[in-house]
Amino acid sequence: MITLNHYLIVSGMLFALGLAGVIARRNILIIYMCLEMMLSAANLTLVAFSRFRVVDGLPDYAAQSLVFFTITVAAAEVAVGLAIIVALYRAKQSVETESVTKLQG
Amino acid sequence: MSVFSVEIFLVVFGLALLCLEALMPTITRRALSGISIGGVALAFVLFLFSSKSGADLPMFVQPYLQLDTLAVFYKGFALVITLLVLWLMVESSAYLTKFTTGGHYNELFCLPIFVCVGMMWMASAKDLVTVFVSLELVTVSFYVLVAFARKSNLALEAGVKYLILGALSTGVLVYGIAWVYGATGAMSFDGISAALANPTTSKQAALLGAAFLLSGLAFKVAAAPFQMWVPDVYQGAPIPITVFLSVGSKAAGFIVLTRTVTAFMAQGSVIAMEVQTLLILGGALTILLGSLPAIFQTSVKRLMAYSSISHAGYLLLALGAGSARFDLNAGGVVAFYLATYLPMTVLGFLVLALLRANGGGEDLRDFRGLAKRSPLMALVMTIALASLAGLPLTAGFMGKLFVFIGLVDQASWGALICAVIGAAAGFYYYFRAILAMYTSDAQTSGSMVWSTGTKAGAIVLAIVIVVIGVYPKPLQKLLTPKAAAVATH
Repeated sequence: MITLNHYLIVSGMLFALGLAGVIARRNILIIYMCLEMMLSAANLTLVAFSRFRVVDGLPDYAAQSLVFFTITVAAAEVAVGLAIIVALYRAKQSVETESVTKLQG
Repeated sequence: MSVFSVEIFLVVFGLALLCLEALMPTITRRALSGISIGGVALAFVLFLFSSKSGADLPMFVQPYLQLDTLAVFYKGFALVITLLVLWLMVESSAYLTKFTTGGHYNELFCLPIFVCVGMMWMASAKDLVTVFVSLELVTVSFYVLVAFARKSNLALEAGVKYLILGALSTGVLVYGIAWVYGATGAMSFDGISAALANPTTSKQAALLGAAFLLSGLAFKVAAAPFQMWVPDVYQGAPIPITVFLSVGSKAAGFIVLTRTVTAFMAQGSVIAMEVQTLLILGGALTILLGSLPAIFQTSVKRLMAYSSISHAGYLLLALGAGSARFDLNAGGVVAFYLATYLPMTVLGFLVLALLRANGGGEDLRDFRGLAKRSPLMALVMTIALASLAGLPLTAGFMGKLFVFIGLVDQASWGALICAVIGAAAGFYYYFRAILAMYTSDAQTSGSMVWSTGTKAGAIVLAIVIVVIGVYPKPLQKLLTPKAAAVATH
C-alpha cells in the first residue's frame, strides 16, 4: 500500500537532488534541467497532498489547479530561459558558469 | 466601473502595443514610447476614478481578488513606478541603442506594462494560486528585461544570473506553497490563518512550508541570506530596469510577504512566534550584509544595489515588529516605507543615467566636481542620497523612524542595534558620494546636457522627497485601514 508518506519522501528526494545539481553542476543547461526537476518535485508534493485530502468523497482540487499553472509557467520560463542561454552561447561560445564571472567587486 | 477593468485595459493595451510594433515596421520609437507612456497614464487616471468606488469587484473574481486599502495603494504604486520606468527608458535611449542588435528595441515598451499588470493582480490576490501566477508574470517579464541589452556582456551576464536564481526561487516558492497547503489544507490566506489557529494543525509541516515560502519570497525582495545576486544583476542591467527591479520587484515581493506573514502570524497561530523570529533575524542580517560591504564600494551603481539590500532589511524588521502606532499596522508601515523609497531611488538612478548620457561612468570618481558642472543636478542628487541615508526632514527619515519605533515597542534590542549600525554605515557611504560631488578636482569638465522636461521631473521628485519628510500626514492617511479610520474619528 503506497501512502502519502511515500510520495512525500520521493518528492523530497527529487527536490534535494535538483537543489544539489543546481549547486554542484557547472553547465548552465544542466543547472536549468535541475531547476525543472525542483518544480516537478513541488508538483508531485501538491498532487500527493491533494489526492490524500478527501472532501465529500472527492480529492481536493484546489492544489491540482495550481499544478496546471505551474506546468504552464515552467513552459514559459523555459522558452525565455533557453533564449537567454542561446544568446549567452552566441556571445561567449560557452554555457559554463565560468563564462559569467565578470561582474564582481 | 471597477478597478478590475484597469488591469484588463492594461493587458489589452500591452498586447496591442506588441502587435503595433510587429505589424507596422515603419512606426518610430518616439511614437511607440509616447503611446506606451500615454496608455499607462490613461490607466492611472482610470484607476484614480475607479478606486474610489470601493469594493465592487465582479462576482467571478471575488474568491480570488480583494480590494482593501493596501491593495489600492499597491496598485497605484505599480502604475506610478511603471510610468517612471518608461520615462527613464526614454532618458537612457543612447545606452539601449548601443547595446541592442541594430539599435532596435521597440518591443521593449510592452514588457513593463505586463509587469505592471502582474504587480496589480498581486496587490489584491487572496490566495496562493493567484499570487503564484501574477508573481511569475512579473518574474518572467523581468528575465527578458534584464537580459535585453544583450550586446553588452555585463547585461547578458546579469540576465543569466537573474534567470538561474529567479528560477531557483520559483522552485523553492512552489515547494513551500505545497507544504503550506499540505499542513493547512487551504490555498486562500483566510483559510490558512484559520487552519493555523487550530491547535491540531501539524506545526512541523506548517513551519517547513512557511520557511520555504519565505525563502522564495526573500529572493524576490533581495533579503539575506538570498541577496548575493543583487549587486551583480543591478550593476549589469540597464539603469531603467535596475530601478524597476529595485522598486517595483521589491514592492511586489513585499505585498505578497505582507499578506503571507499576516496569515502566518494571525491570532493564535501555531507558528506565529517562529515566523516573527525568522523575520527579525532575517531583517537584522540583511541590514548588516547590505550596509557593511557598501562601505568599500567605488561603483555607485553597486552602492545603490547594496543600499537596496539594506532597505529590504528595514522593511523586514517593520513586518516582524508589527507596529500598531500612528494608525498604521505592519503592512501600512511597509507600504509607507516603500512610498518614501520610490522617489529617492528613481531620482538617484536618474542622475546616474544622466551622468552616463554625458559621457561619464558609474564610479564614485565620475561624481567629482559635479556641483561645478551642474549645481542643480548635484542638489537633487544630494537630496536623494540624504533621504536614502535617512537625514531628518527627508522622506527616508520618516520611513526609518516608524521602523525604529516599532522595534522599540517590540523591545527587539538586538535588531535595533543592527538597524542603528546599518543607518550609521549608511550615513558614511552616502555622504562620501555627496562630498565627492562638491570637491573641485573634476575628472571631466564641461557642463551637463539635460532637457527641460528631465529637469522638471527631477525637481518634482526632489520636492516629493522633502514634502513627505516634512509633512507625512496625507500619505499616512492614505494607508490607514478603513476600519481604524472610522474608530479614531
